[in-house]
Amino acid sequence: MTPSLSPAVASSSVVVADRCSKWYGQVLGVSDVSWKLSGGIIGLLGPNGAGKSTLIKMMAGLLLPSRGALTVYGENPFHDPGVRRRIGYAPEHEQTWDELSALELVTAMARLAGVPAERADKAARDALEQVGMVPAMHRRVRGFSKGMRQRTKLATAIAHDPDFLLLDEPLTGVDPMARIDIVERIKQLGAAGKTVVVSSHVLYEIEALTSDILVIYRGQVLAEGNVYEIRTLIDRHPHRIRVECDRPHAIASALAAEDHVVRISFERGAVVVETRDPDRCYDQIAAAVLSAAVAVTALSSPDNNLGAVFEYLTGDGGRR
Amino acid sequence: MTRYEVPSTAAMIRTLAGVTLKRLGRGKALWIGVMFAALPVVYAGGIRARSARFSTEHLSHLFQLSTLLLAVLPAMFVGASVGEEIEDRTSTYLWSRPIARWAVLAGKLVALTPIVVALSVGGWLAGTWAGSEAAPPLASILGLAAGAIASSLVVAGIAVLVPKHGMALTIGYMLVDLFVGAMPFSLQQLSVTYQTATLAGFSTDPPSTVTSVIALVAISGVWTAIGVTRIRRLEV
Repeated sequence: MTPSLSPAVASSSVVVADRCSKWYGQVLGVSDVSWKLSGGIIGLLGPNGAGKSTLIKMMAGLLLPSRGALTVYGENPFHDPGVRRRIGYAPEHEQTWDELSALELVTAMARLAGVPAERADKAARDALEQVGMVPAMHRRVRGFSKGMRQRTKLATAIAHDPDFLLLDEPLTGVDPMARIDIVERIKQLGAAGKTVVVSSHVLYEIEALTSDILVIYRGQVLAEGNVYEIRTLIDRHPHRIRVECDRPHAIASALAAEDHVVRISFERGAVVVETRDPDRCYDQIAAAVLSAAVAVTALSSPDNNLGAVFEYLTGDGGRR
Repeated sequence: MTRYEVPSTAAMIRTLAGVTLKRLGRGKALWIGVMFAALPVVYAGGIRARSARFSTEHLSHLFQLSTLLLAVLPAMFVGASVGEEIEDRTSTYLWSRPIARWAVLAGKLVALTPIVVALSVGGWLAGTWAGSEAAPPLASILGLAAGAIASSLVVAGIAVLVPKHGMALTIGYMLVDLFVGAMPFSLQQLSVTYQTATLAGFSTDPPSTVTSVIALVAISGVWTAIGVTRIRRLEV
């Protein structure tokens, strides 16, 4: 049976998920999620495979719930194009129309989102300017680094001035400087009255954006509310940061003597730092990159420890 | 609230067709397609090099070669484009936007079907000119064009249904279609290439324009309906 939502509840909220479940055959995406989003910036936090992307795709109108109901602005986004014009979606995956330049791509996406032809070029240029991609906007996407792709994806999501943004792992693989830019941009969007859902498997990325989080684990909502409670649990575990660059040893040298660094290891073309103080560590990595003129190609957090915290929460009965 | 309205379907189809053509122009597929389309010219040139006379039998072989291209060109352009859009998940960008999903299919067909028609018919025209220094019968041109359109629609439907390896599968289907069309049973009525040859006047059976047109519309209509139904429900 499909639960029905009260029209008043559905229309006053941006998102209402009512006992929403999604399966891919035998594989569980999300299970029995009930959640209401009224506005602001919210971080969707969970380890890889937790169900974050599934929930985001349902909100973007790409997936239908297998059971239950999910509405955006009171409508079903899968079936209602009218509500999708209010949504800006940046997917997690990198595939896009690589043969096009960034400007052509964003212009086409703006047109497809309803921006009239005569205004699409300006809307695209404005969006690319906001994400700092103007210098590369005439280059084809095929040659872009991961960070440039992330910025371009963000531009495609904001070019049509949507009310509701869905950003799936927008900071993955972005270098420290770009990370700061993107975080600032997302905060500005939130301050401008947009509703923004940002997913990540790294708490510190979410924490830089908002204090409101929804924690998902194994397809279920484990906790909803303030980020600082979760952070306390996270901080008990070392946090891993992986930096892909041309001179991993230069970054390792800069961090080796720091008391918060638990361990440093090297992989091919990368250094992995385990730290008990990720905030400081990110700052020091950025400083080391600038002072030693290291060329960083990717920065990520293979944060298995978050999974350990979720296991702990689950074992503890979670917050539900 | 966002300033923009839901765009018209016609505007969406135009935009999607424009993007499809731009992407095609920057890839290699178009040039490979042109090379395939030139095969009838190579055949006709070979015949002319060996013999001064380009017989009716040679013309018939040339047409068969052109119908063989119907197994390749629609798959190369339409099958690959539709299949990759779904399989590479670039469709997530499209379907999160306020457009009807079938418009994606329509945009690709509007852009790519004329190219398939131009290459198929162009190869046939160039081949007959290279062989006989004369234009082929008008019915053969129209028949081949109708076959190219029908093949494109069939291929689009199959590529939506099975996007993975869309090009290979659609080439396989069209080769089976050629085989079915060559069989002397009523089953051949279901073959696009058989109906194309009949319409073009190159079938051993008596020509029946109306029957062939109805058959081509029915076959391509069924596959298009399958494709549209599937794409409306497809989750990515």
